Amino acid sequence: MFFESIKMNIKSQLEYKSSFIINSISQFFIFFTFYFMIIALFQKFNNIRGFTVYEVLLCFSIIQFGFAFTETFFRGIDRFEDLIIDGRLDRYLVRPRGILFQTLCSEIDLVKIFRIIQALIIMVIALIKLDITWNILKVMVLIFMMIASILIFFGLFVLTASYCFITVQGLEVKNLLTDGGKNLAQYPISIYRKGVVFVFTFIIPYGFINYYPLLYFLGKTNNILYLFSPFMVLLFLIPCLLSFKIGLKHYNSVGS
Amino acid sequence: MSYIIVDGISKTFKVTKRNSGLKSALKSFFKREYVLIDAVKNISFEIEKGEIVGYIGPNGAGKSTTIKMLSGILLPTAGNIKVNGMNPFADRRKYVSNIGVVFGQRSQLAWDIPAEDTFDLLKDIYKLSDEKYEKNKSELVNLLDIGEIIKKPVRSLSLGQRMRCEIAASLLHDPKILFLDEPTIGLDAKSKKIVRDFILKINKERKVTVILTTHDMMDIDKLAKRIILIGKGQILYDGSLEKLKTKYGSYKKITINTKENISDIKLKGIISKEKIDNGYSFVIDSNIITISKFINYLSNRYSINDMDIDNEGIDDVILKLYQDYEI
Repeated sequence: MFFESIKMNIKSQLEYKSSFIINSISQFFIFFTFYFMIIALFQKFNNIRGFTVYEVLLCFSIIQFGFAFTETFFRGIDRFEDLIIDGRLDRYLVRPRGILFQTLCSEIDLVKIFRIIQALIIMVIALIKLDITWNILKVMVLIFMMIASILIFFGLFVLTASYCFITVQGLEVKNLLTDGGKNLAQYPISIYRKGVVFVFTFIIPYGFINYYPLLYFLGKTNNILYLFSPFMVLLFLIPCLLSFKIGLKHYNSVGS
Repeated sequence: MSYIIVDGISKTFKVTKRNSGLKSALKSFFKREYVLIDAVKNISFEIEKGEIVGYIGPNGAGKSTTIKMLSGILLPTAGNIKVNGMNPFADRRKYVSNIGVVFGQRSQLAWDIPAEDTFDLLKDIYKLSDEKYEKNKSELVNLLDIGEIIKKPVRSLSLGQRMRCEIAASLLHDPKILFLDEPTIGLDAKSKKIVRDFILKINKERKVTVILTTHDMMDIDKLAKRIILIGKGQILYDGSLEKLKTKYGSYKKITINTKENISDIKLKGIISKEKIDNGYSFVIDSNIITISKFINYLSNRYSINDMDIDNEGIDDVILKLYQDYEI
């Protein structure tokens, strides 16, 4: 069913060919500016709290990868308020499949796929320049980080989607959590103040998916626990999914 | 035991109260004020398998809310629903594979691509076997005459064509119950007829239980033997359409064309009197006062240029019901 939906989605988006091409190109290039900013920053300073430019770029690209992946494939959840407002949620509720699953299938933002590719390119460049001594554990931690990065944004999207059940106004909260958090987590969180570090480690576990495993990956620590810290994201998913379930019970629908 | 049992359900909505302006917008972000609105209050009814029930009432009466609770979209604030032994909200995923829902004003078809592609997706969603899907699809396509239509992008279809596709989409999985929320809204006469004939046919041949809401009284007249009238969230009438008609069917509408002023008539059996462009329009109850007596009375006193006698349509009957119950 997922692939059938994706197929349909792609068909729909390709109905408007020229708009698709222009958007894709602009998506691809606009986001390079972010990376240039980092590089420019490091022209001035050699390192930030002991992190070199490619270490930061790696950190950055993992978060960007997770975010771009979520935005591409989980767009339906990102735009959950639309689902409520235009009544599509009612439609999903009368179909014999899970709501989140149907929402996942509902929309794919094909254009943003270029941001995933871009993040991967940056990641590869950083990895080459970093001169990593590879072993199986390092491969594992990198994969864990990438998956956890996807899951954390998925969790955040679900959380804000649950908030839509209460009100479709005031979605600024969402931007604070996702965009704000994302921007912070793009850098190793040790460069921030204590309070910020606490929030983005124990409340929204950006630190666990990005900073700690990165330390292990870069050989800055040998503590094997750091390798498994991305699994903390699973704990984070529980309240997110639970709040969605509760939200659904309070769903009011909109008049027809 | 009845097929559908609705036992004392209510639905209360919490609506955020908010005044316009930036200041109150900010305020409402921190502290919300709520108003509780009872969309549906303590409704009970039962429906047997194979019935067609017209669920009618003015706008905002609670029709859609009831349908949404029956189809598992909304959780009732109080009361119980049992359909074929299942609770629509709690057993949602199992329950909804047995129902089809058509929201007249909301499409379930993907806008930019042909309806047939949506059908293919539905096949996956409902996990239909190839044979069952093909058989069902070709049957529906034939009955609704949409063979060509389903190959065109949905955005290029007329409303009537789209609605026929919608109905087909809702029946692909062969549901036992069909909910139709204003299925004929905005359709032309031909499409209306196709839709109505089709509903009758699937009710007869597949024994599908049909519950429809509508504002079009012709729908009710042609389709439903039983109606449930709802107003202000409560059931006002539940019974046969025939009974309703005989009760109000003795009403005749008489239009008089006259230049004179007709003052109050002191006769029994006159239901209403209304001043219109070049005369008056009366509704009388022919059980109490015969038409000839009424006309005699008028023609003896006033000069009448022209007149017209009409049976009251079902539309007027319903309007009168609304008036009787003051909704």
